[in-house]
Amino acid sequence: MQVEKFSYDNQIVKQFMIASVVFAIVGMLVGLIIAVQLYVPELNFGIQYLTFGRIRPLHTNAVIFAFVGNIIFAGVYYSLQRVCKTRMWNDKLSQFHFWGWQLIILAAAITLPLGITTSKEYAELEWPIDLMIAVVWLSFGANLFGTILKRREKHIYVAVWFYIATFVTITVLHVVNSIELPVSLFKSYSVYAGVQDALVQWWYGHNAVAFFLTTPYLGLMYYFLPKAANRPVYSYRLSILHFWALIFIYIWAGPHHLLYSALPDWAQSLGTVFSIMLIAPSWGGMLNGLLTLRGAWDRVRDNPILKFMVVAVTAYGMATFEGPMLSLKSVNAISHFTDWTIAHVHIGALGWNGMLSFGILYWMIPKMWGTELYSKKLANSHFWISTLGIVFYAVPMYWAGIAQSLMWKQFTPLGVLQYPNFLETTLQIIPMYIIRSFGGLLYFAGMFMLVYNLIKTAKAGKFIKNEEAEAAPYEKDADKFKRGMIHRWLEKRPVKFALLALVVVLIGGLVELVPTFLIKSNIPTIAAVKPYSPLELQGRDIYIREGCVSCHSQLVRPFRSETERYGEYSKAGEYVYDHPFLWGSKRTGPDLAREGNKYPNVWHYLHMEDPRQMSPGSIMPRFPWLLTQTLDISTTPAKINAMRSLGVPYEIGYENFANQDLQKQADVITQDLIKNGIPAEPDKDIIALIAYLQRLGTDIKVNQATIK
Amino acid sequence: MKTKNKIWFSVLLVLFTFISQPVFAAQTGDNLDAVVQIMLVITILVIAFVLWLAVVYSEKNDVKGKTFLEPAHKFFSWISSSTPIEKEKDILFHHDFDGIHELDNKVPPWFNFLFYGTIVWGIIYMLVFHVFGDGQIQANEYKMEIQQAAFEKEILIKSGTFLNEETVTLLTDAAGISEGKNIFQKNCISCHAADGGGLVGPNLTDDYWINGGGIKNVFKTIKYGVPAKGMITWQTQLDPNKIQQVASYIISLHGTKPANPKAPQGTKWEEPKADSVKTISK
Repeated sequence: MQVEKFSYDNQIVKQFMIASVVFAIVGMLVGLIIAVQLYVPELNFGIQYLTFGRIRPLHTNAVIFAFVGNIIFAGVYYSLQRVCKTRMWNDKLSQFHFWGWQLIILAAAITLPLGITTSKEYAELEWPIDLMIAVVWLSFGANLFGTILKRREKHIYVAVWFYIATFVTITVLHVVNSIELPVSLFKSYSVYAGVQDALVQWWYGHNAVAFFLTTPYLGLMYYFLPKAANRPVYSYRLSILHFWALIFIYIWAGPHHLLYSALPDWAQSLGTVFSIMLIAPSWGGMLNGLLTLRGAWDRVRDNPILKFMVVAVTAYGMATFEGPMLSLKSVNAISHFTDWTIAHVHIGALGWNGMLSFGILYWMIPKMWGTELYSKKLANSHFWISTLGIVFYAVPMYWAGIAQSLMWKQFTPLGVLQYPNFLETTLQIIPMYIIRSFGGLLYFAGMFMLVYNLIKTAKAGKFIKNEEAEAAPYEKDADKFKRGMIHRWLEKRPVKFALLALVVVLIGGLVELVPTFLIKSNIPTIAAVKPYSPLELQGRDIYIREGCVSCHSQLVRPFRSETERYGEYSKAGEYVYDHPFLWGSKRTGPDLAREGNKYPNVWHYLHMEDPRQMSPGSIMPRFPWLLTQTLDISTTPAKINAMRSLGVPYEIGYENFANQDLQKQADVITQDLIKNGIPAEPDKDIIALIAYLQRLGTDIKVNQATIK
Repeated sequence: MKTKNKIWFSVLLVLFTFISQPVFAAQTGDNLDAVVQIMLVITILVIAFVLWLAVVYSEKNDVKGKTFLEPAHKFFSWISSSTPIEKEKDILFHHDFDGIHELDNKVPPWFNFLFYGTIVWGIIYMLVFHVFGDGQIQANEYKMEIQQAAFEKEILIKSGTFLNEETVTLLTDAAGISEGKNIFQKNCISCHAADGGGLVGPNLTDDYWINGGGIKNVFKTIKYGVPAKGMITWQTQLDPNKIQQVASYIISLHGTKPANPKAPQGTKWEEPKADSVKTISK
């Protein structure tokens, strides 16, 4: 048989790897800073661009899309060429993909600290960047399919199944969740409101974890683990079963982020049951990984690469068991809004994503530079310091989450909340925050061992830019497989494979999203709920800009402990004008759904200036710039128009009078502040924010006295 | 594991346990204690697991590694009904992807059991909650929780343990007043000043009261608040005994001389004669 000669493109892999390591350090450093800000609120140095609310999304975006994203692309570009026995389809497209992706990261790094955000978690970037993401992502997809289609292998390997599912699903998720109406170049409103926005967001958020942090990594595992262990993949049948089960079931589980919320009960229950069904398909990946190591466990002891991979796969198994447990309502009642969630995601991020990435880096770089790893011992130390870092990160967060949640729920024998002052529960867990940041520091320190080791390795070898390879050309008839014919048939048809994967992932989304949008009874309307006034709308956008949602939920759950603390529980109909929804996912501070009229205006004014004036010991950052920055009211008409287009019933022509109303309301608040001895001015940001806070939850605020 | 590492590890472990203590120190209640114990056990288990990993995978422990892992592997092979490594050739596909071979091992039976079991569980869950149940799960759950609490409160009120504005009396004992002072310092001073002279809120030391003086009125004002004027409702935060203590403390401030007294607001309050007559007649 005639053999063709060709070469693999290592250059693009190298670029993505370097980007990944650089952004890993940046992302983790920001993470470390915000972890410390939780007990040293002054660590933002009084600079608004460094406050927790603004750089927390910077941390998550940097880690997910910059660190993990780049290593995914590095791994995909490396393995795809080799299992398809061909060079990437188009080198120029590869370069476009690389530089486009880095440009997106740069845009994120600039806009997020500036407060330019949609506030939807892991989809914070504003609409121009969303468009860039779509273009760059499609260029990746084109290159992926171009390469698959010109492969020399008849069948596509299991790793490639996962890459295909990743591409198809992320495309759908990104497009659907990012549909927003631009108001200006850097401001847009989600087309969905309230409950529907929440459902779309967590359908996206959950599946971003599934199809950005999980399926591509399983693909990487299926290539790099057997390679590093030099063992055959344990079970092809298990690969098929867990692959299809995983992508079908995963997509349904999003509503488990919204248990005990205003989301209809049936959707919540679907979230719960599909999460439980997800245990086995997730564990299928772990099993196939760990069992592939059969007969190679003796090598795990002296091979740091395998150690990293074993801990990664084990962490994946733990996190995918914990996730379904957190989806049980009784567990979720305790865990939700607490640091337990933070612990859970970091088992995934530090354990599964981080450790597997390190293993891959330690494996790929010597191969691509034609040399051996510079220091096994150093890699080993890196392994231990990272593992310890994870333990010191996660364990205190579990403690903190459970301790705080139980304090929130504790009643005295007389039936009154034992810890009515939210701050008291926060102060209780500060020691845990300190230990957590120590764990993070250990993990972060490990990164420098990695960098040093990899640079030394690269220096010892010579980079192979184009790796020579040879393979027989694609033959139409050659079919070396006899068993498992049906799936083998599909593996030869990547386009049909992709379409089938698309259908499989669409089912769950459609069943949950469509009824919530079309059937009216799912969101009962409340006549008393009125659109925001222009000033409140502007205040809401300041709330979004400052990232208040990072620490404050706006969702009172139907528990006595919450209605006693915050007021009547939240109803779906209250959120119909909320583009976007601001339910939040973490209560570092108290819920604000019923904040309106709870405190006088002057309290809010002083509290924003320095929270510790009103609540000694508070860990909230100061927002003194709100008192001096002038509110931009030139945007009001555009915002009113945009909201009207989205279905908010502002009268036609109201945009022309909106600013008059705005000023009237601002004057009332300012007069009240002046009366209380505050030299306030009506045109400042703070006035709009106070207006919004005082409005929150007042539409149907019921008298506390009636709830006994 | 090297001795040096071991020492380092133990120090960290002790340190960690030590620092975690204060987190739970302030709490009482049975379920909290139980949870603390469970968490402690889990923490120790996690740390033990990492230690075990350290022993098993440390490079100088070839022999121990085998003894530790061998039985686990045998057990796992057995429940997974995998083909033994020696017979692996029989189930190996004669094809590779960039050198990666695949085996055709059976899907482990326990995996199938787990997979199909959870699906059955899911179907039952949906049927129980949404077909045979009434579909109003969380609203009903909440209603029941509230009813239970109301029932318990009713008993407390009837037994007289739960004070209200009708049954409350002025405390004059030092212990009660000093407890009231603590509550005041913690909750009230941002609006009423540390000495009760008033800031955003009114002066509490003079003869004038906006919502009426005397223990019953002060108790009532604290309990329900005056939301229109910025006074918060405290009944969800302070139990009636605490409201009684802080109200008594406030009344004890009468006639003291604050540093920066706010001008009088409201009307002059005099203890109603009837009340004092009643007290005498008792």
